[in-house]
Amino acid sequence: MTGPDDSATVDGADDAADPDTGSTPGSAGEPAADAQPIISGRSVVKAYVTGGETVRALRGIDFRVDPGEFVAIVGPSGSGKSTLLNMLGLLDVPTGGVVELEGVDVETFSDAERTRRRKETIGFVFQSFHLIPTLTAVENVEVPRLLDRTPARTREAATDLLERVGLGDRLGHYPDELSGGQKQRVAIARALVNDPGLLLADEPTGNLDRETGDQILAEFDAITDEGVAVVTVTHDDYVAQFADRVVNLIDGTVRDDEEAVTG
Amino acid sequence: MPDWSRLRAWLRGARRRADRGRRGVSDAVAGAVAAAVAAAPSTVVDRTRRTAAALGRRFPAVSLALRNLSRQRLRAGLAALGIVIGVFAVVALGMLGTALQTAATEELGGLGNQVIVSPAAESGRESLNSRDLAAIERAAAGRGTVIPLKSTGATVSGGGGRTVAQVYGTTNPRPLFGDAPGVPDYHRQGALVGADVADALDLRAGSQVTIESNTYRVVAVLPPQSSITPLRADSAVVLPPDEFATEEFSQVVVQADSGSDADAVAREVRERLNARERRVSVFSLTSVLDRITEFFALLNGFLLAVAGVSLVVAGVSIFNVMLMTVSERRGEIGVLRAVGIHRDQVLRTLLVEATLLGVAGGVVGVLLGTAGVVLVALNTELPIDAVLVAANALVALGAFAFGATVALVGGLYPAYRAAWEPPVDSLRG
Repeated sequence: MTGPDDSATVDGADDAADPDTGSTPGSAGEPAADAQPIISGRSVVKAYVTGGETVRALRGIDFRVDPGEFVAIVGPSGSGKSTLLNMLGLLDVPTGGVVELEGVDVETFSDAERTRRRKETIGFVFQSFHLIPTLTAVENVEVPRLLDRTPARTREAATDLLERVGLGDRLGHYPDELSGGQKQRVAIARALVNDPGLLLADEPTGNLDRETGDQILAEFDAITDEGVAVVTVTHDDYVAQFADRVVNLIDGTVRDDEEAVTG
Repeated sequence: MPDWSRLRAWLRGARRRADRGRRGVSDAVAGAVAAAVAAAPSTVVDRTRRTAAALGRRFPAVSLALRNLSRQRLRAGLAALGIVIGVFAVVALGMLGTALQTAATEELGGLGNQVIVSPAAESGRESLNSRDLAAIERAAAGRGTVIPLKSTGATVSGGGGRTVAQVYGTTNPRPLFGDAPGVPDYHRQGALVGADVADALDLRAGSQVTIESNTYRVVAVLPPQSSITPLRADSAVVLPPDEFATEEFSQVVVQADSGSDADAVAREVRERLNARERRVSVFSLTSVLDRITEFFALLNGFLLAVAGVSLVVAGVSIFNVMLMTVSERRGEIGVLRAVGIHRDQVLRTLLVEATLLGVAGGVVGVLLGTAGVVLVALNTELPIDAVLVAANALVALGAFAFGATVALVGGLYPAYRAAWEPPVDSLRG
């Protein structure tokens, strides 16, 4: 991600400002200078009208996320973190500026198209897991493909993913039979079931103890090794330290690209 | 920036944890096998569960809806109970109405096809002459049988008693008085005796009967009349028309082939004979029957409307339950939308949920309603044949469809509201 003050060209050159990106162990191909970002934004503004007052949640920020990156967005409450995450997840559209997903302006998408893109390219992990209580672990992983007509392939993919996150023996368990960490790993598997290019995590360790949080972060690390970009919003300094890159968001603008200022 | 040694430690830890997980799998498998061996009959349960799972994968929306309904069993049950009561009311009242109508129509029998022509009171005449008969025959040509009747009241005696009876004269008794052994095609001689007269005077075929001063042999006893008829055949005696002194007829009955033929005959007889002055009065039961049918249709409509109101109330309760459900599951629906389930699909799943309530309620309601009506029929004079008619299958089907539709409509707005809410809002709430 680049700050608005970044004088470099939008394409590629911000790798120079982020020397670690290239050296991520086992990174799926070093992000080449001309590699297409998975998602990028220019002068993105988001304003809400609440109670007759206009709240400017994002005040013209630039960002880009490359494949295989682990980016942490930090900042105090009300700084626009969640708004930015929603924007990245195509759950929200900017009121100003341009957001491009794999080079295509998201403004051109219809609601159906945005839903489809979300399904194909983006995976979500929520702070409170948001698993569906009536579905088993494996069925929860299948949810994004639940209404597709390929149940056998979906079941296979879901089983593989759960085995991968170490829950191969919990396939038939319901969410209330799983611990917090297990639930979050199910949620991660769910986010990965459609082989997304981008995984968005809102406070993924917020409801977990330190050791369980570590497992989740390790999971994210393994994911980025496969070329999936992970963007997480966090209050947790610990998570921020783990990230390849930290974006400080304060009052809707990006402050500093290097040092984490958590609030 | 990450500390690589620490990261590697994490990864090693993760791998160890994964290994532990795999051991967990084999333990679980061994446990499952042991359990299966211990409980052999559970294979049937397993098979049904597997079938259910396969069906669920085939119809994911239905399976999802079923599970969602099972979360709040009592609430879903009560909502479906509303539909049960509504459909029960529609089925019970609708079927009873149809049965009553069928029974009444059967009771009135072929009456609706009769046209009775008699001299008009204001014409001053007491009988119809052969010219009138010819006109009626022309009007009825090809539409039914014309039966001229002579009639008079007379004292009848035989056996040991006497009674007053209506005496009819006709050569063709069968269409009006019914068939019994001995009733002739062409009535040439002897007397046919109505069931009640035969009872009163203890007459049988072959007995002697005296009418006024003439004695006749009883040719046959007429069958008792099951349907209502203006001729009162049970207390009548039928003689050949030659036995009457007059050449004229007191009435002419046209037994038409169908109700619409009867209508046409009645109209044409009026046109031919009453064009200049009112010579005859034409009595057709078709119009009476029509009015009876109309009354029953009105009664049925009223009963169905009352029952329909209860179904609409059930629809409102489904609406309410679905509103509660979607507001409770707001976050979940937001997640579904966020992970790429299209809003139409969310809408469909919720509608399936509402419709399932209606379908389940409808099936139970139809079964209970049918059973109720059959019970009523078995315990009252209402004939069971009148219940088991095609029209009642239609009532059952219609009530079921109405119940399912009401539930679907009840779910429409809540489902729409949930599916169309921006996922950002649902996830926040």
